[in-house]
Amino acid sequence: MAVEVNQSSKETIIEQREKEEEQLWSWGAGTDGQLGTARLQDEHLPQLLNLPSLSSAGPVSILACGGAHVVALTYGGKVLTWGRGNSGQLGHGEMVNTLLAPKPVMSLESYFITQVSAGWSHSGFVSDEGCAFTCGDGSFGQLGHGDYRSHCSPVKVSFFVNKHVEQIACGMRHSLVLLKDNSGNQLYGFGSGKRGQLGVPMDRIKSINTPQFTCGFDDVKIISIGANGDHSAALSAEGQLYIWGRGFGATSDFLIPQHIPSPLLSKAVLGWNHALILSDDGEVYMLGGSHHGVLSNPEKMNPSKHLSGNPFGKLKTRINLINYIASIRVDDHVYTLKLPQHKYNLFCFGETGAAVLERVPGLDGMKVVQIAAGAEHSAIITEDGVIKTWGWGEHGQLGLGSTCDQNIPQTVSLGHDIEHNDATFRVYCGSGFTYAIRTLCPPP
Amino acid sequence: MSYDDVEIEDMQWSDELQAYTYPCPCGDLFQITKEELKLGEEIARCPSCSLYITVIYNAEDFADDKSKSNLEPEKRQAVAVA
Repeated sequence: MAVEVNQSSKETIIEQREKEEEQLWSWGAGTDGQLGTARLQDEHLPQLLNLPSLSSAGPVSILACGGAHVVALTYGGKVLTWGRGNSGQLGHGEMVNTLLAPKPVMSLESYFITQVSAGWSHSGFVSDEGCAFTCGDGSFGQLGHGDYRSHCSPVKVSFFVNKHVEQIACGMRHSLVLLKDNSGNQLYGFGSGKRGQLGVPMDRIKSINTPQFTCGFDDVKIISIGANGDHSAALSAEGQLYIWGRGFGATSDFLIPQHIPSPLLSKAVLGWNHALILSDDGEVYMLGGSHHGVLSNPEKMNPSKHLSGNPFGKLKTRINLINYIASIRVDDHVYTLKLPQHKYNLFCFGETGAAVLERVPGLDGMKVVQIAAGAEHSAIITEDGVIKTWGWGEHGQLGLGSTCDQNIPQTVSLGHDIEHNDATFRVYCGSGFTYAIRTLCPPP
Repeated sequence: MSYDDVEIEDMQWSDELQAYTYPCPCGDLFQITKEELKLGEEIARCPSCSLYITVIYNAEDFADDKSKSNLEPEKRQAVAVA
């Protein structure tokens, strides 16, 4: 369908439509300007934002939220950043303490950016030509430039110059890069590797400032990667999850990528002590949830209650799971355990303990279409466009009007007059804050 | 309840704050000064929230100023403006 419109009126129409079709809200920790509210304060309820510099740049395709900064990517390949910039993570050519409003990253103007990521205090960008750029804190080598310097403008990672980069993922002090060409080495890590988050076959290297090949994916095609805190994750084309880095709950660190047996997955996101997993039929599971959302409750912060009475001790054999009856042979004894089907689907075992992949409660009968994880909170969108949050709430990051923690997903209200019909919703989490985007569906 | 146990070598020295720091999940930084370490304090607090971490360090390293030179951060942040 082609409609001839002269250029100037076409631009006016696009501008107008974009303004009408996309709305952003933010809430949570805001003392570094990361909420885009033009105020340096926390917000406990969703704030409808007025961001002219962002709306004039076009609709947002990705909102990457880091420790206290935000990187927005538009469908037109433009990048804007705001929030804390004291390590150069905003990429505007100077260290700025706080930037209250989205500002285009001028040095990327000549590139068409296709993917972005925001870490604790660094940022990563990928262009349509397959180049990777990084800026921000480089103290741990997480920028990948072969040194420990910080940069306040995006710098091309020369290691990947003759390769085609598809994705970059920035964690607290490390980065992962996924290449498009999957023949041979497809995944690389750099930065801090102390918890095994680089997945390189060396024991707990402190930090590496040039990209290192991540082992364990010889026969696996990876389609997406994620990093947060000291965790790393990859999702295969077959819908299988691999996790490495810091352990979850009672498990020890995974020094090399670990396959997590699970149903077919469509997405996995990472917090600092939990992972959230979305199955392809719309169910949400959480790994490491015993820590998550109970930070203010000391009784619940002890290692997973599911582990008490674990007879297995150090376990290095695979558990057999058939019809929700788990069985395992330890020496000459076979232990069996009947799992309550409605609650636990899967177990995975590290070297010294078990981590439970647990179905998130309170979502029965709901199909979830999107998931996001902050450091210690989580957010999801149901197919009806309802936003739900749970976890740590001290800074209002749950958007429920209080600072209470929540163990069960709670519904966030964006306002009484917000129509959920004919619109799609997306949600994104930074360490202690959350963003929601509402986009009107294009007319049929 | 301590949010995490962190070794002093994993903390970063901040000239601006005159403290060893470590990321807090709220977005701010857990902080502990050399004076506090000298006094045997092992809790690093976040000025923005209720969370705190336990710092793991060798008390002798901070007992007097003699060893100060060993404790200065190895990686002073260099900044390139491109």
